[in-house]
Amino acid sequence: MDNNNLFFHKSVVYGLSGLLFIPILATLIYSFSSSWGATMLPDGFTFKWYTQLLTDPRFLEAFGRSLFICISSLILAMVLVLPMIFVVFYYYPALDKVMNILILLPFAVPPVVSSVGLLQLYADSSVQLVGTPWILIGTYFTIALPFMYRAISNSFTSINLRDLVDAAHLLGASTTKAYLLIILPNLKKGLLASTFLSFSFLLGEFVFANILVGTRYETLQIYLYNMRQTSGHFTSALVMTYFAFIFVCTWLATRFSKGNE
Amino acid sequence: MSYVKVSQLAKHFGDVTVFEEIDFTIEKGEFITLLGPSGCGKSTLLRSLAGLNQVDAGEIWVDQENITDTAPQSREIGMVFQSYALFPNMTVLDNVAFGLKMKGINKAKARAEAKSMIELVELDGKEQFYPRELSGGQRQRVALARALVVKPRILLLDEPLSALDAKIRKSLRLQILKIQRELNLTTVFVTHDQEEAMLLSDRIFLMNEGAIVQQGKPEDIYTKPVNEFVASFMGHYNLIEAETANQWFNLDSQQKVAIRPESIYIREAGRQYGDHISVAKQGTVLSHQLLGNVIRYSIEVEQKALTVDLLNRSSERLMAAGSSLELMFNLNEIQPVRA
Amino acid sequence: MSITKPTQQGTFTLSKYKPVLWLLPFIAFFYLFQIAPMIWVLINSFIYDGEWTIENYSEIFDSAFILQGFSNSLWISFWSSFIGLILAAILVSSLRHLNSRIRDAIVAFTNMSSNFSGVPLAFAFIIILGTNGAVTLLLRQWGLLGDFDLYSKSGLLALYIYFQIPLGALLLYPAFDALKKDAYEASQLLGASSRQYWMKIGLPILSPALLGTFIILFANAIGAYASVYALTNGNYNMVTIRIASLVSGDLFLEPNLAAAISALLMLLLAVITAVNQWLIARSYHG
Repeated sequence: MDNNNLFFHKSVVYGLSGLLFIPILATLIYSFSSSWGATMLPDGFTFKWYTQLLTDPRFLEAFGRSLFICISSLILAMVLVLPMIFVVFYYYPALDKVMNILILLPFAVPPVVSSVGLLQLYADSSVQLVGTPWILIGTYFTIALPFMYRAISNSFTSINLRDLVDAAHLLGASTTKAYLLIILPNLKKGLLASTFLSFSFLLGEFVFANILVGTRYETLQIYLYNMRQTSGHFTSALVMTYFAFIFVCTWLATRFSKGNE
Repeated sequence: MSYVKVSQLAKHFGDVTVFEEIDFTIEKGEFITLLGPSGCGKSTLLRSLAGLNQVDAGEIWVDQENITDTAPQSREIGMVFQSYALFPNMTVLDNVAFGLKMKGINKAKARAEAKSMIELVELDGKEQFYPRELSGGQRQRVALARALVVKPRILLLDEPLSALDAKIRKSLRLQILKIQRELNLTTVFVTHDQEEAMLLSDRIFLMNEGAIVQQGKPEDIYTKPVNEFVASFMGHYNLIEAETANQWFNLDSQQKVAIRPESIYIREAGRQYGDHISVAKQGTVLSHQLLGNVIRYSIEVEQKALTVDLLNRSSERLMAAGSSLELMFNLNEIQPVRA
Repeated sequence: MSITKPTQQGTFTLSKYKPVLWLLPFIAFFYLFQIAPMIWVLINSFIYDGEWTIENYSEIFDSAFILQGFSNSLWISFWSSFIGLILAAILVSSLRHLNSRIRDAIVAFTNMSSNFSGVPLAFAFIIILGTNGAVTLLLRQWGLLGDFDLYSKSGLLALYIYFQIPLGALLLYPAFDALKKDAYEASQLLGASSRQYWMKIGLPILSPALLGTFIILFANAIGAYASVYALTNGNYNMVTIRIASLVSGDLFLEPNLAAAISALLMLLLAVITAVNQWLIARSYHG
């Protein structure tokens, strides 16, 4: 490859990534500046917005609620998906094809459409669901499902499931013991990677949260939206804090999925 | 009564018969090979012995105990898989000790027993390695140690050497045989490689299309094939139609005859051949293949191409295509075979 | 039926079905939160005042307002997917020429920025490109930007393109593996120019991936709600905004009309996917 070409490709890559980076960078600078008008650079740097944010009990509560919902739905998803995938792969391998179509549904059906049905179905349920975190936990399980199923089924195909379980049986282990001692430990990396990936995805979920629950249980995204009238510097600090969190999650996800190769 | 007795065993998957009317006995300490082409049912039969498949009919007895319906966990049968089936999340030591732990043997004792088994398969020093850090041959030795440490009544080996390269395969099969003799283990080995089967086995059960077509000592199966399938599977037998054979050798056979490539000789001047057991035929060399210590000739005799193996003694004696020669057939080595 | 099902003979027949029991909780939750809402939408789109009718659908086609929502959504989804796809393809094809360290870093960055969407992204855009945004003011001072308005069609398009690029790049990146360097070298030895290589070899190999990615981007855009809602407070007329306002707005709630719009939206997605599949089937198979 001659240098001219390399220069061209580098410019394209850096140009486009730079374009993607501008909003992030600008928000970052904005979150650290006391004020920023029509000048190349802001007037002064300050941590004021972050201090204000991190001492706002409403923010901390919203963040806590989001963590509660995301972690609960991930636990629910694991509890439901782990035995399901094992049963599919070990007893009914033909079902894998069906599952691969089913798990597309949460992607293919726009959240707005699902929430129309959810809202009507559970509006008058005997146990109150709409307006509570519980409906979000159930819904978020469907969002995490495709990530988890893909990652874990990849782990399953990379180990020789049937031979491992057979070997364990012959050595005296029951199916449950074989699953807990041998299969589960081998799913760890795929499971962790998909958990962090789903986590960052769920933390950014706004549609279901807004339509199904709204301000009755203010999550991080709803809080962010409700703060739109406050200072742009403050919301920048909020966006950046959120983004830093997402950054750590995606970083962890890629780390674990790399280790899987 | 024999140590292992299998009678009238049958297995179907839906309408497909995997095997049927399987009968055999195995003595304690015997090394048996289930030999056959892929799809003949040998692996499923082996898995049925282990209890990993149900059978539809028949009985399996081990040491005077009917284990036909026993769960694999309580059969006390060890198995080594083609895929090794080592637990990737465990070290070599933990893999080997797994079966002992399942038996509830205390940790220190389990570790000590696992260690001595690891020594037996010559992997001492690798106890703390994970399977992915070992070579294929080493992995299979771990799998062997893991199966042996619980002192199984029978050791099953499901094509354990197929995933390995030729050199490792050769050394590992000798190691398996040595350990088998040392522990006096009743062993059932599955393979599609007839050379491996002959080298290792006390007896071979040759399977085809879900049935055992011939069982016996390796040398008997090799020299006395009962049918065309055995003849073609065990070696490069020349199969000659009954009519031609009767004419050539003055026989009265209703069946085809099989002649091994190494029991056809080339007449050498000045050598004596017992006239009453030998028949001579005129032939022409078509081509040859060099197999190392043996040269495999294709020689035409009365429009019929025969395979003839000769020891590769020196390059001067190589016969070019088109050479004429006289072939000697030993009547005692002509084997009539069923279709 | 599985070939080597490890159930044991002689045990209780029920135990044969025990594995199925482990599927039940999953099936129950998936039904309650994914399947049942879809079924509700489909059924209720045909119910108006408690009667079976296509009234809801005819209302949609009589309402210029709802139809405008559809056309705005389609316009923005099509162009943002199209432009996003082209930019992503350019990014990925150039990326493959750089060394692996830069490549990994850019892929990681793209992965991360694909999570920068929805409300936070809208706010970032407001902060830098809004009426009083730093970049807006700066560009206006220099006499640039013309009549660009973040809260209009062009602003939304910019926002949508922004979140389509990383997604498109992540989806296309593996597909470009199919472009082997030796194919390019072989074509050069046979006298093809770079342009001819791309037209005759590169694009045909990539076309299934490009079409497939386009459809995902399109579905992603047409279903998007958070970004446009946060940017315009729900004042820009898009189909997802219409649906949401009919079930959770402050004014008249008409869930069955919302269901009908939803059903049409799903139908639209299904048709586009079908056309796309047909195009992929017709194109080169890798």
